[in-house]
Amino acid sequence: MRRIQSMISTSGAEFRRNDEHNRALARAFRERQEAARHIRPQRDLDRLFRQGKMRPRERIEKLLDPGTPFLELSSLAANMAYGGESPSASSIVGIGVVSGREVILRADDPTVKGGAWYPLTVKKIVRALDIAMENRLPVIHLCDSAGGFLQLQSELFPDRYMGGRIFRNQSILSKMGVKQLALVFGHCTAGGAYIPGLSDYNVIVRGTGAVFLGGPPLVKAATGEEVTVEELGGADMHTSVSGTCDYPAASEDEAIHIGREIVAQWDRPKKWDCQREAPEDPAYDPQEIYGILPDDIKKSFDMREIIARIVDGSRFHEYQPNYGTTLVCGFANIWGWKVGILANNGVLFNDSSLKGAHFIELCNQNNTPLVFLQNITGYMIGREYERKGITKDGAKMIMAQSCSAVPKFTVMCNGSFGAGNYGMCGRAFDGRLLFSWPNHQIGVMGGDQAANTLAEVKLNQMKRAGQVDQAEVDRVWEETRKAYQEQLSAYYSTSQLWDDGILDPVDTRNALGVAISASLNAPLGDPGYGVFRF
Amino acid sequence: MAFRITVDGYSHTVEIVGRRPHLVVRIDGREHEVSATGTLEDGRQTIEIAGTPLHFARAHAGDGLVVRLNGRTFDTAIVDPRTEAEGAGGGLDHIRAPMPGSVVSVHRQQGEDVLRGEAIVTIESMKLQTALAAPRDGRIAALLRREGETFDKDEVIVRLEEAEEA
Amino acid sequence: MTMNKHLAATATSVSARLPFRKILIANRGEIACRVMHTLKELGIASVAIHHRVEARSRHVRMADEAIEIGGDTPVAAHLDIARIVAAAKACGADAIHPGYGFLSENARFAAAVAEAGIAFIGPDAETIRLMGDKISARNFAEAHGVPVAPSVMPSGDLAAFTAAAEKIGFPLLIKAAAGGGGKGMSIVRSATDLAEAARIASSEAQRYFGDGRIYAEVYVERPRHIEVQVLGDGEGNAIHLFERECSVQRRFQKIVEEAPAANLPAPLRDGICKAAVKLAAAARYKNAGTVEFILGADGRFFFLEMNTRLQVEHPVTEMITGVDLVRAQIEIAAGRGLPFAQDHVRVRGHAIECRICAEDPERGFLPETGTLRYLGVPEAPWLRFENALDAGQKITADFDSMLAKLVVHGGDRAEAIRRSVDALGELALLGVRTNTDYLARVLAHAAFGAGDLHTGFVAEHGAALAAGEPGPTELDAVLIAAALGFREFRDIAFGVPEPHATIGRWRN
Repeated sequence: MRRIQSMISTSGAEFRRNDEHNRALARAFRERQEAARHIRPQRDLDRLFRQGKMRPRERIEKLLDPGTPFLELSSLAANMAYGGESPSASSIVGIGVVSGREVILRADDPTVKGGAWYPLTVKKIVRALDIAMENRLPVIHLCDSAGGFLQLQSELFPDRYMGGRIFRNQSILSKMGVKQLALVFGHCTAGGAYIPGLSDYNVIVRGTGAVFLGGPPLVKAATGEEVTVEELGGADMHTSVSGTCDYPAASEDEAIHIGREIVAQWDRPKKWDCQREAPEDPAYDPQEIYGILPDDIKKSFDMREIIARIVDGSRFHEYQPNYGTTLVCGFANIWGWKVGILANNGVLFNDSSLKGAHFIELCNQNNTPLVFLQNITGYMIGREYERKGITKDGAKMIMAQSCSAVPKFTVMCNGSFGAGNYGMCGRAFDGRLLFSWPNHQIGVMGGDQAANTLAEVKLNQMKRAGQVDQAEVDRVWEETRKAYQEQLSAYYSTSQLWDDGILDPVDTRNALGVAISASLNAPLGDPGYGVFRF
Repeated sequence: MAFRITVDGYSHTVEIVGRRPHLVVRIDGREHEVSATGTLEDGRQTIEIAGTPLHFARAHAGDGLVVRLNGRTFDTAIVDPRTEAEGAGGGLDHIRAPMPGSVVSVHRQQGEDVLRGEAIVTIESMKLQTALAAPRDGRIAALLRREGETFDKDEVIVRLEEAEEA
Repeated sequence: MTMNKHLAATATSVSARLPFRKILIANRGEIACRVMHTLKELGIASVAIHHRVEARSRHVRMADEAIEIGGDTPVAAHLDIARIVAAAKACGADAIHPGYGFLSENARFAAAVAEAGIAFIGPDAETIRLMGDKISARNFAEAHGVPVAPSVMPSGDLAAFTAAAEKIGFPLLIKAAAGGGGKGMSIVRSATDLAEAARIASSEAQRYFGDGRIYAEVYVERPRHIEVQVLGDGEGNAIHLFERECSVQRRFQKIVEEAPAANLPAPLRDGICKAAVKLAAAARYKNAGTVEFILGADGRFFFLEMNTRLQVEHPVTEMITGVDLVRAQIEIAAGRGLPFAQDHVRVRGHAIECRICAEDPERGFLPETGTLRYLGVPEAPWLRFENALDAGQKITADFDSMLAKLVVHGGDRAEAIRRSVDALGELALLGVRTNTDYLARVLAHAAFGAGDLHTGFVAEHGAALAAGEPGPTELDAVLIAAALGFREFRDIAFGVPEPHATIGRWRN
């Protein structure tokens, strides 16, 4: 496969300007991530220390095989919710290797409100279990939670994708034969009790671990019975009397070792045979992505330059290089695995849509996973394009993409606006994992366009009413733009769990490697499509 | 996680730092690249550390391994963290009667420190005497049955607590 | 067993004329295997004996026939004269080779074998008895002009005692005749001190033991243990195969032997060898034997004892002379007389034997037990590893702690030492603690290299011979080698799938 010939001048002024801009963004992202991971009130840390507990990230580090990667997902979930009270949505989720097996780790965070579940915590857990189901990844739950955050119960309890979904997903996972292990380090109260209860295996730490539907205060209030935590749901009771828990552990360390031993008993998955070569580092330095991404979302750039800094050896076999050129399609390898890449080099036209649909079908025929690199302002609009059937051509791409059987991965590289988001495997299209870069913006349209549109609507209303107040129009424009700017940002997206996390662009290759590897655990179905409108 | 391996009784920390292109281990803070790793079998082996071949013989002996290298023989063992954790306070807090019966003799008293495996009481049931041993290191918090007293299956006979640090 | 090539080359077809078709070996372990090796070359069938617990051992498997001897303990079985002779008769053995140890110097056994009409490969019972008793052996040697350590027998007359003692020369060791524990014992270095020392010793002896009689003998400083291999035909003809030095000892047992002795002036060597031959001839000694001497720093040597059997350390003599001593024993026992004349015996190079023992040199050489998990033996044309070991074998306290002998030949002493140290380094006997490393340190020691040997060598160099702390490089190598042998480590080191193993530690 031919190496992409980079056209970037790494010494040019534009490169340097971009580089500075994007490095600053990456730095800001790291700082926010650092804060979400580590900054906690001393009072909470002291309490943890007094209880002889580890911090949840220490538990994860000890559980993981040494010298292996951990792909953390949604590290900035809830960063723009609850006044920042729930860093990482009070929960840590990621894909890593334990006893030689790829697993998804999901940890409560007792350093935030005793590990209480906020609505976005629930969303994050449900998403983690969805990932487990889609990729057949075994789950290790690191339980230490006070239960649901009661003040917000209406947002986390009743609906289809709320609390109950966790336990539904756990049950379905078990039915699918995807293993789950719960390590009970702290309390599992009320619904939380079902996490160890619905896991195939569980371990409970004596003294600090407890599992019960109602804690001692609730029991006292309900029946007047006075009972200690240990008697009600401690390690000895559950492992020797109720059988709710399997293994007692004297310490968190022992629980982790027991957990690692349990995972070592699990059969090693037989992955489907995705074509793979020996991996090769990109020929171009991934750090150069910083200098390629423009410092202004309105400036365009060649997505091949990005591809060259993600794929093995910077080698890329481009498909239909001269047709539908606003959508770059082609084959490459990431960490050895053959993938089909679709990357935006401008607005989607009829030909680029048709090319995309065709390429997606080729990849499905060839069992080649798909990687979407989004930088899309949408499908072309206007009379000429509607007359050419831009809607039905876009629909073909959406149909082909939606009905794909191969694993799909999406990286939000710069912008994602309008229906382009759909064709390029946005969040709604069940890609296995979807990541955003810190500079990325997403919305039905850009902030300026939205402000213009709404100001235009307002102006028309005023004109119909016969009284035009330009100041009011300006206010609408300004407010709309401001609200959009905030909600368009990658931080807002990731806060709402519209993605699986923000990535520093230089981490993209490793993230995709871990993601592709995980995806191969789920058997590959046959592609089948609906009715294409021709 | 790190491994603890003893050489002639002295403990050292061995960590895995990397695997490709070669295994990299860190021993007491010193890093080494191991480019050929041999097999698990007993016998002569050649491995490569920093590209230099290292010849040695190794065999299982007891719970550990004997390594013979540079004309010297070393006894090595790997410290199992679970065994260690159990000794330090694993096992159960309660010793329950495995069957109904009576206490024949009491070997240790309340407040005494016991080591894992030490007999605390001997019980008799269906003419069969059984010693109930401490499931972990700890202190006897309570002896709930005296000599001659009877009990039912699953009744708690002894309660343990953590031994205080000396 | 790797036989020396020039040794193996001495085997010819004379065996066809030997009267023995089948020989029972009343022994076990490496020496039984050693004997069988020669029997095989001679085309003579071998019969092993064994106790129930050693039914699967190497000497049993190597033999053409094996007979179990009952007994409470394995050692008892190997000492059961009646049963062994009965076994030899039952299997139709023409001769019995006793090896060393067990019944090899038991006159009753030799007599019983002879009575049963079976040839005993060794001297007759009378000679064994003569040499088996220290006093009679000493008297016999003295009577035949072989130097014995001069002594003055106990007497109550101090004046007569000192006069006699002075004749012996100095230094002298004075002991209480009835004593022990060092009481009444002193070393006298000059005639002027003698009378006073004798008086004090006598009065001390009187005080402690109620018996004032004292006894004096020559005090040998930095004594060396030199022994001479002899062959006798039983008709009064004897030859020697030169000497061996066995000065390096621990717990009064040899651990390193060599041939020839280091730094021995030719006239002295000649004198010692001739004395040995004189003794063997006078005793009308039959078969292979060893005459042991103590050699002082001053060049005086004295008869210690005669071993009427094959010695543990016989291979060093075989290596430097090219003679198969077991074959020579058999030929003599068969009535063939001496296999060659004295002037046919030539010394070629130097040989060293190290006794590999299951023991802990760091803890007073106390015997160790265990299971032999791995046996890695160096191979070279210049070395013999005499053993009967099998991987998986349990090393118990049932038998002697000597597991094997590493015998190395070199063009000269320096080469023999170098090759021995290398071979000891390469030798791997894992699963039971051995003295292998210790032996290597002994051989590598400058004093050993200089041939500065005496029976106090191990004690004198105790500190230098102790195992030092390993350096960090060596320690890390050991830890890596060990880690790679633990399943727990390998599982985690090599059980990680791709691409995770290649990505390594990475956090996003």
